[in-house]
Amino acid sequence: MPAVLTVDARSGVPIYLQIIEQVKRSVALGILQAGEQLPTVKQLALDLTINPNTVARAYRDLERDSVIETAPGRGSFVRAEGALDSARSAASDVARDALALALREAKSVGLSRSDVAELIDTALDRWFPEER
Amino acid sequence: MSTIQISNLRKTYGAFAAVDDFSLHIPAGAVFGLLGPNGAGKTTVFKCMLGLAHMAGGEILYDGKPLVPQTFEHIAYVPERSALYEWMTVAEHVEMNRRAYSKFDSKRAFELLGHFSIEPRKRCRALSKGMRTAVMVALAFARNADVMILDEPTSGLDPVNQRQVLSLIINEAARGNSVIFSSHQIGQVERAAESIAVMDRGRLVLEGTVDDLKADRKIVEGIFPDASYSLNGIAADPHVARVDRSERIARLLVLADAGEIAQRLTDAGATGVRVLDLNLEDIFLYAVSPADATADVVAKAGSS
Repeated sequence: MPAVLTVDARSGVPIYLQIIEQVKRSVALGILQAGEQLPTVKQLALDLTINPNTVARAYRDLERDSVIETAPGRGSFVRAEGALDSARSAASDVARDALALALREAKSVGLSRSDVAELIDTALDRWFPEER
Repeated sequence: MSTIQISNLRKTYGAFAAVDDFSLHIPAGAVFGLLGPNGAGKTTVFKCMLGLAHMAGGEILYDGKPLVPQTFEHIAYVPERSALYEWMTVAEHVEMNRRAYSKFDSKRAFELLGHFSIEPRKRCRALSKGMRTAVMVALAFARNADVMILDEPTSGLDPVNQRQVLSLIINEAARGNSVIFSSHQIGQVERAAESIAVMDRGRLVLEGTVDDLKADRKIVEGIFPDASYSLNGIAADPHVARVDRSERIARLLVLADAGEIAQRLTDAGATGVRVLDLNLEDIFLYAVSPADATADVVAKAGSS
């Protein structure tokens, strides 16, 4: 696996969630390809200097979400089928949460619905100019 | 493999209870961080676990059995203060440990000393504080013990050697052995430990896995138009552990469901409502600082 995983242990975001999010993001972006092997729990724990059970927890959740599969004795791999879909839907979950947070912030500083709609239109023009 | 069960531990020094009603379950293969301010009783708990201090009450069981002399073969201990003999060389300590413990691996001990750049022919009186810590860590990790009890195992070490100690702890955990350690460097506990317990004045005040504590505990903060705001009963919510009010700002320590509390704060008229993550240091400080520590702070009972 490419050295794309990093964790910020001092952050308030649980380490196992940081690992899950990064693996899903890497799959969604094609950095991690179907069938590609992930480091063993012990190896990743030693590489990142974090608790092995924390890594195991992240792997279990990734397995539950159908992003990776573990073959006993062989290791963990990015799933050949379905991994991309589940990783993309995870990426869209992240985007949805970020948007919800931004809208709550906008409301909380007193912007009106039409102010917010205008801001969103400007942002859409900036990031999706081809689909105007 | 050893499961450790501490039940209602009490240790007194005269009339002073250094540890009181302290219970903890440490599963086999866990890395457990014991946190607490100076004098909280961490070292006393370790000494009771090792049979080095007489308990005034409670019990400590290893795999369901009380401590017997044979148990010591399975427990390695790094004490907070140097337990090295000043007049002996480091190599002589290795030899002494080899004679004392049947599973002691001398080759591994010298290898670990090498990692810490310690010259085995040196007498211990010539070692710095950090080097003494490193020698004790090397001796403990060469024991092939099932349980490691480490009291400030990175004290005095430089960042490179601190990281070495963390790697040793993680390696031990990956082999299924249990490690219980204390450290004032919370960032290290945050990395290596799966679970933590926080002690304050001899008592357990918080326990949980680091990741779950971080996922659940949040600060929810909002700004009100003037200082005479009402929280509309939010402070009475069982998930709100603490309310700090200063002028127009309300800051709530929330134990779960932060999004819901944020919504209620917005409904109560607050603007700029934010949900802030807490790292382990924040969680620790909240656990050991009383809510009425500052004049700005109003205890939960007095607000809402």
